[in-house]
Amino acid sequence: MRVPPWTVPLLVLLCAALGLAGARFLVRPSVVLDLAQAPSDADLRTTVLVVGGLFCVDTAERAAGQLDGLPGVVRFTAYASRNRAEVLYDPAVATAETIRKAIEGPVYDKETGEFLFGLYRVVEADGVKYSAP
Amino acid sequence: MRRLRTAFQVLVVAAVAVTGVRHALGWSMTTIEKYCPFGGLETAYALVTRQKFTCAAGELNLALFLALILLTLLARKAFCGWVCPLGAVLEWWGRLGRRWLRFSSFDGWWRPSDRTRKVLQTVLRSVVLAAVLAATWATGELVFRGYDPYYILFSAHGHDVMFWSYFILGGLLALGLAMPMAWCKYLCPLGAALWPASKPGLLRLRRSPDHCTECGACDDACPQSLPVSSVMEVRSGECTLCFECTAACPVAGALELRAPGGKP
Repeated sequence: MRVPPWTVPLLVLLCAALGLAGARFLVRPSVVLDLAQAPSDADLRTTVLVVGGLFCVDTAERAAGQLDGLPGVVRFTAYASRNRAEVLYDPAVATAETIRKAIEGPVYDKETGEFLFGLYRVVEADGVKYSAP
Repeated sequence: MRRLRTAFQVLVVAAVAVTGVRHALGWSMTTIEKYCPFGGLETAYALVTRQKFTCAAGELNLALFLALILLTLLARKAFCGWVCPLGAVLEWWGRLGRRWLRFSSFDGWWRPSDRTRKVLQTVLRSVVLAAVLAATWATGELVFRGYDPYYILFSAHGHDVMFWSYFILGGLLALGLAMPMAWCKYLCPLGAALWPASKPGLLRLRRSPDHCTECGACDDACPQSLPVSSVMEVRSGECTLCFECTAACPVAGALELRAPGGKP
């Protein structure tokens, strides 16, 4: 069967659109870390952060380490390819602001024993933009 | 169709270059890896075994890879001829090489037999693909980045690009002058991964022996150096449906795009 040549660019565009639109059905977290047990009566909240410097599994795990031991933080979930982190916390103990500051704080490098500054920058928190990436 | 294809290529190359520069300047968090379908293949193993993506690869890479497989099953390696930014740059570079060095075809200085080309393509590309996938799957890192000409060229000195990476790129460009599109033909791991889907691809170019004068213009015009004039149908898994052969053909109707079924 004869096919017009414009079928090829049309298929290219359709498949590109399919790939771009279909990505939402394949979302998987890069890192999920349970940091603390939440009290049974706690009214937990989630803060959604877009973090500059969080771009792969390693950087996501390191960002999770920033919240390790922070009172009130229950779970850290990162989506590295979207530079996105979701932090479940107890608002009676922690605030979104303390979580943001903890992530942006100095990072201890176990290999060198030094503190690294400015590794992470929260550029958006719960839909509010903070600064340019 | 040639103008339309060039427009596709220019748009993709410009978009990728702008993305790379914006990221390098700190203006955007979007990297050029985000839209690379090969990342989808690289992360597939980690996703199956650990339900996690590899390194910086994500759902968009995987979705684009799956869409690419579908496109390849329908339109062979149309991605390579219409979308791949590295393929576009290497094709333009190869054309420059052809003009400078006065090569009659995209074979360049070395014109292997069809069989030799197929063997080399299969072996070399499979080795590169196996090495990249084995290293990625073993380490959980996108270890190919520093060696990947796409990443070296467009990331504006991105993460993992070392000084020796530019020697790799330079070597490939030098090779691409003497043997136009040598990377695409003999080394590209994505090309190797797509071949099983491309070979049975639905759309194909058919040559009409009633119209064909066997002048060989299509053979010389084919960026993949396929022997178009000596087959009835271009069933090669390397055809990118770029329509360079139909544009070069002096007889209207001698080469047409066909799908199975309907009237012959």
